Amino acid sequence: MIPMLTPEEQQRYDRQILIKEIGEEGQEKLKRAKVLVAGAGGLGSPICLYLAAAGIGMIRIVDHDTVDLSNLNRQILHGTADIGRPKVDSAKDKLAILNAAVKIEAISVAITEDNINSLIKDCDLMVDAMDNLPTRYILNKAAIEKGLPFFHGAVRGLEGRVMTIIPGKTPCLRCMYHGDVPQEKFPVIGVTPAVIGSIQATEVIKYLVGMGDLLTGRLLIYDGMRMEFREFKVSKNPQCEHCGENSKRS
Amino acid sequence: MAIQINLHKTHRQYAGGKESVDVEGKTVGECLKDLIRQYPPLGKEVFGKDGKLSGIVEVYLNGATAYPDELAKPVKDGDKIQLVYFLAGG
Repeated sequence: MIPMLTPEEQQRYDRQILIKEIGEEGQEKLKRAKVLVAGAGGLGSPICLYLAAAGIGMIRIVDHDTVDLSNLNRQILHGTADIGRPKVDSAKDKLAILNAAVKIEAISVAITEDNINSLIKDCDLMVDAMDNLPTRYILNKAAIEKGLPFFHGAVRGLEGRVMTIIPGKTPCLRCMYHGDVPQEKFPVIGVTPAVIGSIQATEVIKYLVGMGDLLTGRLLIYDGMRMEFREFKVSKNPQCEHCGENSKRS
Repeated sequence: MAIQINLHKTHRQYAGGKESVDVEGKTVGECLKDLIRQYPPLGKEVFGKDGKLSGIVEVYLNGATAYPDELAKPVKDGDKIQLVYFLAGG
């Protein structure tokens, strides 16, 4: 069933409906969409804010953490009064203020191989807003197995990277794996995840509406220090553990 | 004409602040060896203790990933190798 836009929605989204590639039809696609955002931190904040502002129908936010004072330089979904609260609860409150028409499902759990399939149930796609690679690979693997588009992003310092993964068609995150990366207390300033998360949200909106060229097979690297974007071609790895010829896909 | 290796900014401190270094070699691996011959401190940054390429370093050749088997990829004069730091933060 195609959800018709209410007069209020037509007014709220008027400026983006004016984008001819979106129009009312595209806006209705956004309204129908169900999106999982994995992480309510530095990347998750701009991703959720812009997806909610754009009128995504349902956003399921998953994060097991609570708000800490040291988060607040970059995690703009949260404020000083939220310190100690589950991040997903804080996020839900802020997003409700921004756009109460968007259904927000706040799930405060750690993402694991055991629960990922239930977490992505009924979702159209997954957005990577994690702060570590092991969980990213759990998401990537589930995306491949379920055929869900996966929107990767990562940051460090004033640098970030973005890639969009369409299972079965494009290289995946694991295609680029060549060893473990040590976990660290990574340096970052809020404007970096703001840039990268906004690009991820752009990709999500483009995918849902069906417009433009996605960042597939292309790794976009942002260098804020030089204010430079570079793009590298990424190929499917036939030996990839997640999407390669010998992977155990269901 | 040599082969140019563009360094990630975290690596430049080990190469006198240089953004790029001209090297010689017939494969990516030989070029990286030449890089480390010129700037030995880069060795532990680019390679792990096992002698394999560090998991945190990605190699791109002429704008495309050199992975897998990146060290064996053939190169020719004028080629550009880019060392990229794998990011995982969010």
